[in-house]
Amino acid sequence: MMIDRNNLPEELLNLPDSAFESLHQEDIKDEKFQTKPVGFFKDAMIRLSHSKVSMLSVALIVLIILLAIIVPNITGYTYVEQNIELKNLPPKIPVLCDLGIADGGRVLEKRKVEALSDTSRYPEGCIIEIVKEYELKGVPMCDVKVDAYVYQGAPDDQYHWFGTDYLGRDLMTRLFQGTRISLLIAFFSVITNCIIGVVYGAIAGYYGGKVDLIMTHVAEILDGMPYTVVAILFMILFGAGMLSIVLALTITGWIGTSRMIRAQFYRYKGREYVLAARTLGVPDATLIFRHILPNCVGPLITRTMIAIPGAIFSESFLAFLGLGIKAPNPSIGVLLSNGQDVLLQYPYQVLFPAILISVLMIAFNLFSNGLRDALDPTKRGEE
Amino acid sequence: MADSQYILEVNNLCQHFSSGRGKKQLTVKAVDDVTFGVRPAETFGLVGESGCGKTTTGRTIIRLYNPTGGEVLFNGRDIAGKMNPDLRKYLTDNIAMIFQDPIESLNPKMTIEEIIGEGLKVRGMKDQAEIRKMVVDMLRKVGLVEEHATRYPHEFSGGQRQRIGIARAIIVKPKMIIADEPVSALDVSVQAQVINLLNDLKEEMGLTILFIAHNLSVVKYFSDRIGVMYFGHLVEVANGEDLYKNPLHPYTKALLSAIPEPNPITERQRVRIDYVPARDHDYSNEQPSMVEVEPEHFVYCSPSELAKYREQIAANA
Repeated sequence: MMIDRNNLPEELLNLPDSAFESLHQEDIKDEKFQTKPVGFFKDAMIRLSHSKVSMLSVALIVLIILLAIIVPNITGYTYVEQNIELKNLPPKIPVLCDLGIADGGRVLEKRKVEALSDTSRYPEGCIIEIVKEYELKGVPMCDVKVDAYVYQGAPDDQYHWFGTDYLGRDLMTRLFQGTRISLLIAFFSVITNCIIGVVYGAIAGYYGGKVDLIMTHVAEILDGMPYTVVAILFMILFGAGMLSIVLALTITGWIGTSRMIRAQFYRYKGREYVLAARTLGVPDATLIFRHILPNCVGPLITRTMIAIPGAIFSESFLAFLGLGIKAPNPSIGVLLSNGQDVLLQYPYQVLFPAILISVLMIAFNLFSNGLRDALDPTKRGEE
Repeated sequence: MADSQYILEVNNLCQHFSSGRGKKQLTVKAVDDVTFGVRPAETFGLVGESGCGKTTTGRTIIRLYNPTGGEVLFNGRDIAGKMNPDLRKYLTDNIAMIFQDPIESLNPKMTIEEIIGEGLKVRGMKDQAEIRKMVVDMLRKVGLVEEHATRYPHEFSGGQRQRIGIARAIIVKPKMIIADEPVSALDVSVQAQVINLLNDLKEEMGLTILFIAHNLSVVKYFSDRIGVMYFGHLVEVANGEDLYKNPLHPYTKALLSAIPEPNPITERQRVRIDYVPARDHDYSNEQPSMVEVEPEHFVYCSPSELAKYREQIAANA
């Protein structure tokens, strides 16, 4: 039916209030939810467990940590035990050695063919094969592959899976002992950085104004110090060792965390729920740690996880420069540094630490990326 | 307005924000010389356009900001002075606040029980079971169920969250509530629900409400007395009925003319009045001030305008 808009009946134009009826229901009754309550962390963990890459990297990290805990105790060698007779032995692994891989073999070049039968120089059974025969100035010479273990007089049942170093120490024991120390240094420095950074950043961010100005400038001055120099100074002051390295990694390492936390505090402190808590009389400390900080936990965890491989790498870098921990303690960096001296002759000495540190770095980086995605799904795939 | 009949008295309240210093200093007078009073158990509506200082007034009263001038008396005690633990306690025990944004105003990392129970914890209540019981009672009061206590805010709808915000404010049994646009982020059907809930609670608990809003029809429905703010100034205060029937200040007239009519025919005939301060006022010779034009009706005007308004009232009568 068409309505003539300009010619409505009078009673429609002036409807009294009593003609209207309120549709509002007096009682509000809400249903209870059918789903289970899912908290923030539970949600994040569910997302994390769905990511294959993250789970793989978690498995790798756990594996390496377990190896670092177990291996030094079961190899039968200690990381300080020296045997100069058995120095620089190549890797020899039971079972695999029968297949010609990791058989403890080493190629000796330019040997006189006639001397090969001299058992005082070449103990019985040490020669595996003659690789190449040739004449040099009329003398028959050869390159011969020998079992270095027999050649250097090791007992039959002695195996060094990753070989030995220049003092005859078992490299596998040293590598995983070194992993222990590297991981410890990394965890200690990262946790210290995290605590200092959070407290410093929280105070600067929460109070703002002049407090923030002064604190930010102090951090900036510290940030300007070259940390290699600081590391050397700590070495002089405290001697080489874990303490100096952790201190060197801590002196400037917390600044990034504190900046991040400060920014997060600026972002969250004006939120209405923080204001609401303030109107209820919630004290500052509770506001900082209960209301604002939990919202920074995502970026904080991610940042901390990323910092761990960074710290391992920094430690290795310092060790590589000769600023590592005190001998005879190994760390991944110390092993790399030692192995690099004999890289051309005995490449396996640098190979295994290099593989381990690479796997460790990749695993931690992938894990922290996965964790970041899990904690903040909106940032998925960002670098 | 120094009557003791008011539970909350705001006298010449100023809230100026400044940035920079020296020649570059910039001052914004968000609230300038605002004076009004709220009687016990009444609802005082504060309206005005966006950015006129309504929210700032509310936040200054509850001391989220430190006022730059003036005094605020609550039951005769000045609550605008220097902050100390004693005053903080007095303030938080007596005044609570409801916020505008139902999503923003609940901490996403806390459960509903933690959010609502926080006020009790701050007041030294330690017994978890007792807190739990009070929280559940309060949830029932705002129409939610016990099972909701263990949930996180993101699982609720806007209206439910706003009711949680109300529960958080009233669980500490305040005498007064500052409701900062509690319904402007909700859709209309839910607005009615929340407003009615507030109304019921107000009657049940004898609450005084300072209701801040920009939606005039909501304010008209809900408020006993209404204050109109413009650009940091309170320009008119009157009883709800009186203000709608008999607006005096040109800004109030402009504001009222902006309300859409439900009837499409009268809506088409509605004329918008615009407010241009430079044209509507001549304050070159006389300074305006808050004057009681007729009983219970205050207008911010100069003496000549006052005479004009009085004539207008006489003509209407």
